[in-house]
Amino acid sequence: MIGNQKARHIFLSLIRRWIFFFFAAEIVFFSITGTNYFSLKNLQNILLASTTVLLLATGETFVIITGGIDLSVGFVVGLSSVVCAKVMVDLEAAGLSQTLSISSGIIAALILGLLPGLVNGLLVANFRVPPFVATFGMYGIAYGSAEIICNNVPVHNLPTSVASMGHGYLFYWLPGKAFTFLSKPENLTRMELKDLISIIPNVTMITFLAIGVFAFILAKTKFGQHTYAIGGCTTAAERAGVNVKNHLIKVYMISSFFASLAGVMYVLRFITGRAPAGSARLLDAVVAVVIGGASLYGGTGTILGTVIGALIIGALEIGLVNLAIPTYNLHIAVGCILILAVLVDQFSPELVHRED
Amino acid sequence: MKKIIIILLSLFLLMSFAFSANAKSLKFAFMPGIADPFYFTMEKGAKAKAKELGVQLIVGEFPKAWGPEYQVPILKALVARGDIDLLFTAPTSTEALIPVLKEIHDSGIPVITVDTYIGDGDYSKPSKYSFPLSYIGTDNFLGGQTVAGALAIMLKGKGKVFLENTNPDTSSVINREKGFRAGLKIFPDMELVGVEYCLDVQETAAAQVSAALQKHPDLAAVFGVNVFSAQGAYQAVARSGLQGAVKIATWDATQTLIQALKKGEVDLILAQMPAEMGALCVEWGVKYLKEGAKIPRKVIPGFFIFTKDNVNDPEAQQYIYK
Repeated sequence: MIGNQKARHIFLSLIRRWIFFFFAAEIVFFSITGTNYFSLKNLQNILLASTTVLLLATGETFVIITGGIDLSVGFVVGLSSVVCAKVMVDLEAAGLSQTLSISSGIIAALILGLLPGLVNGLLVANFRVPPFVATFGMYGIAYGSAEIICNNVPVHNLPTSVASMGHGYLFYWLPGKAFTFLSKPENLTRMELKDLISIIPNVTMITFLAIGVFAFILAKTKFGQHTYAIGGCTTAAERAGVNVKNHLIKVYMISSFFASLAGVMYVLRFITGRAPAGSARLLDAVVAVVIGGASLYGGTGTILGTVIGALIIGALEIGLVNLAIPTYNLHIAVGCILILAVLVDQFSPELVHRED
Repeated sequence: MKKIIIILLSLFLLMSFAFSANAKSLKFAFMPGIADPFYFTMEKGAKAKAKELGVQLIVGEFPKAWGPEYQVPILKALVARGDIDLLFTAPTSTEALIPVLKEIHDSGIPVITVDTYIGDGDYSKPSKYSFPLSYIGTDNFLGGQTVAGALAIMLKGKGKVFLENTNPDTSSVINREKGFRAGLKIFPDMELVGVEYCLDVQETAAAQVSAALQKHPDLAAVFGVNVFSAQGAYQAVARSGLQGAVKIATWDATQTLIQALKKGEVDLILAQMPAEMGALCVEWGVKYLKEGAKIPRKVIPGFFIFTKDNVNDPEAQQYIYK
């Protein structure tokens, strides 16, 4: 009987971690059927291509755990990318050094990016506007503002070092000859360039650094505990002494911060700021959070799950391109995984509660 | 367990044989700019030529919308296959694609840009964007001038015109605009009253042209620079009931636009030669890789003007995008 229960427990916890197996199976499948899918270059591509979804989904995880949703993030990416690029261009034109213009652009975008979150949070917490409505309103406001700032024209002529930052890697390795940090070894011949191995894109490093910090905050700090508490039961959390209003505002600001960070990463990667920059990725981000095991009713979810959820989508997208299969199949596949995720969530309530 | 491992190993062996068997033929990759009839036609032309020359052509996913954020991830995934000998692509931004294509070029894959280019498109002078082998595409400036001239003749040299453009950071359409402006200057009584950018969204184009019609009730003509802006423009004109009164000039001979021309909703279409562009990329690519031929840094296929008078001519049919 005890053995039986133990087996059952193992079985259930395996089901709960199905996305890890799914992700692994996906990588194995594409590695066998694809061409050079399992290569450093391609795996780094998956991480790079998932940048926006990873960042948006991390912020969204906080909001979804509190039982809310943040639909504004898609266009906050665009707003932040436009502000970031515009500040860089204007300051450089005003005669500032590249370093100064670039860092001012990034800081300006990140600070301004907190604003939509602050407003969302105030609306949801203090004025009891449903999150769906409040953030959907902000979605339009952010998009319109971005269009006004850039005059409906993508921002161009950025300082030249933006490209080397955004397309740079942490390490470069020329087997047997050179190993450099942050910049390519100098004076390479054409053949050597071909053999140069680039390791860890700067953008990916920054992305995972930010995700890591907030994964820690969610999992290990009081702030994280309160986030789960609010999602589990708001009134109970209030009675337990959590300042729910204050906390919700912070949570929406975290989501907004990640969106604006995604905007900055967009500028680094594409050397331009565009108002619709992240809009196509909004739903992918929500999907990643749900695949990652968070419930839209609040109270559950982890950053690790979300990251895996986002990578499942990214690996699938790149895999289909590798196999030269049209990506409308991607939508079908992602749709199926999403529904599967919710079904697993629905039919295993005891698992969810055991985790709490 | 051992048996399984042996079976798996032999399977891998078989697979590697299968792969090495066709590894000898050249493998080209084509990365289009957006999912539209223009690039579909280009793909067809390239595929036909590839088949003829025994080249294996791998076509990247057609991006759902225009912009580096849609194109770059697909492009990177495509070349990460590592088995590609040459890439031809329509860069979706003159600037954002420079470092991306440079990285591909540095990894040993020669790059041809087709339809659109990077930088200012002049690859003959050394610059940070002069590494592509060639730009193969329409002379958009000349095309813009031609459209301006043909419209002026249609309007007897007099009237207000409006330009519906798509993306301010895309080389091809910007040159159409420049050419159109230059062409209009020749006619002192032709006036360009406005330019809008719809970012390849047909609904936006329709709304912008509607607004222009409100503002300028005496508008004589609209030039929509590509499929989306042109189709949006004629929807707006049709909705206002101004068919015939407002002439519409467009670019790209898609089936939809040809039908519209036959119905009198559109008055002039400049047809590019996307199929020929695709075929030229494959042909020059093969010549470069197999014979070491020097490719011209710029290859310019011509174009064809459709009007109501010639749209049914048998010899004109080949210029319709299929």
